Amino acid sequence: MSEPTKPPASAPAPKPAGGGGGFKGPKPGDRGHKRSWKNLLINKRYQLQFTLFMVGLSTLLMAGLGIWVMKVANETTTVSMASVRGTPCPKVPALVESSGQDEDVLPVPMKLPDDTGSAAPSDTPPAAPAASIDPPAPTPPAAGSGSAAPEAPRERATVVMDESSMTMLPSVIKVPEDFGAKVVGHWTCELRLGSEINALERGRLLILYVLIATGLLLVVGLAFYGIKMTHKVAGPLFKVSLYLGKMQQGRFDKVWNLRKGDQLVDFYEHFKNAHAGVVKMEKEDVVKLKAVIAAAEQAGAGNHATIVELRDIVARKEKAIE
Amino acid sequence: MSDPTAATGVPGGNAKPAPRPRYKRKLSNYLLDKKLQLRYVLLVTILSGVIAGALGYMIYQQKRLASESIEKDLASLTQADSSQEDFQEHVASGLESEDRALVYKMAGVGVGLVVILSLYLLIMTHKVAGPLYKVSMYFDRMAVGRLGVVTPLREGDMLQDFYLNFKDMHDAVRARAQADASALEKALEALRDSKNQADYRGEARAKMDEALDELDKHLIERKKQLA
Repeated sequence: MSEPTKPPASAPAPKPAGGGGGFKGPKPGDRGHKRSWKNLLINKRYQLQFTLFMVGLSTLLMAGLGIWVMKVANETTTVSMASVRGTPCPKVPALVESSGQDEDVLPVPMKLPDDTGSAAPSDTPPAAPAASIDPPAPTPPAAGSGSAAPEAPRERATVVMDESSMTMLPSVIKVPEDFGAKVVGHWTCELRLGSEINALERGRLLILYVLIATGLLLVVGLAFYGIKMTHKVAGPLFKVSLYLGKMQQGRFDKVWNLRKGDQLVDFYEHFKNAHAGVVKMEKEDVVKLKAVIAAAEQAGAGNHATIVELRDIVARKEKAIE
Repeated sequence: MSDPTAATGVPGGNAKPAPRPRYKRKLSNYLLDKKLQLRYVLLVTILSGVIAGALGYMIYQQKRLASESIEKDLASLTQADSSQEDFQEHVASGLESEDRALVYKMAGVGVGLVVILSLYLLIMTHKVAGPLYKVSMYFDRMAVGRLGVVTPLREGDMLQDFYLNFKDMHDAVRARAQADASALEKALEALRDSKNQADYRGEARAKMDEALDELDKHLIERKKQLA
């Protein structure tokens, strides 16, 4: 840490007040020291104690109230989500399978293939039963047969599928006229609700992130501000401590003013008065001793051992208040 | 306020110095350095108030939003049934009173926080302002040349290191002044003896007498200051 009581090489020399026209130079007794971030922590114990107190307190406050905020935010989000989920959407109409017995659906007759294998449909209703036993048709005699009296053919039952009287009705799905509009309405509503739920969740997360960001910003900002603020108190104390050290060694140098923005200005004035008081004591001693020395010299006792000793004291005191 | 730097010893006597009264902290003395202390107190209090107020507002807003949502849902559920109107109103007023209670609760917490913080900071800054005040009193005494005994700080005071620096300086200046006074006293005696033995001329003798008398007075005064 640089010693503030030693003038830096680049420090401007103190100028008399009011000099330099419009230029606002340092007042007499001012030093050209500027604040440096390296010297911010002068009195670690004092500065950190105050800063950590403020930072810790703010963190506790933010954490406590933040948890409260998040609790309420979660509750609200849950309630709002439940509300959104409970919002009724227009339903998609169910598709009803029709058996074909409705008026507008004509039954489709089942057509079976005829003997030739064709299955030409016929609109004629069945006149005969589906299967009947017809009398046996005369069978042509077999070629090459030598028998004159043909053998009576064996009667066999013949099933003739003439035309089916059964009608096979295909299942027909009845589509209402506003089906499309209702489906669109339903899914639009569902998507809107979904997006509302997502927005609610996003809002909840936003609150959380804002809280965390604010907390971090506050802690960092407060730490910096706290150190800077306490520096304005610790700075004058450090400066006074340096002067106290010099005074302890018997050096009563000129006391410079505080920097602009420093606190403890009143306290520093008390110190300056004390310093001036001690300097005045030394000066009074010097005046009295010089008077004695002068009187002794006039009396021809200038070389007296006591006078020599007094001269040493005077020299020491004069050097101290230079 | 009582002077915390009150002298402990009885000047010019061999009697034992009276025990120094123990200065206790008084409520009325807590605001020693208004500018310094109130700056801290106000900063932390305002900051806490802003944080508590902003987060409290967020809490209230969220709670109110939830209540409004419930009220809205309830209204849509019961709008078809007029017999449920009373129930709806009852629930709505219940939610409203809950919200109001939350505001009161938060306001209470905020005010309590600010009061506790202010008191705590007042005490904490007093522990800094106290030593500064005490040192200032000693500085005022030094300004008029009085270099009495420096008494230690109270337990729990801050800036102990700074105060030790001050005490060391004060003790050194006092010791040096005492040594000088002693040396001057001896010199005075020696010069008076030599004056009696030497054959000083009339005018010189008168001047020497005058100077020695002045020095004698000065030493008496200085001894008083150092007592």
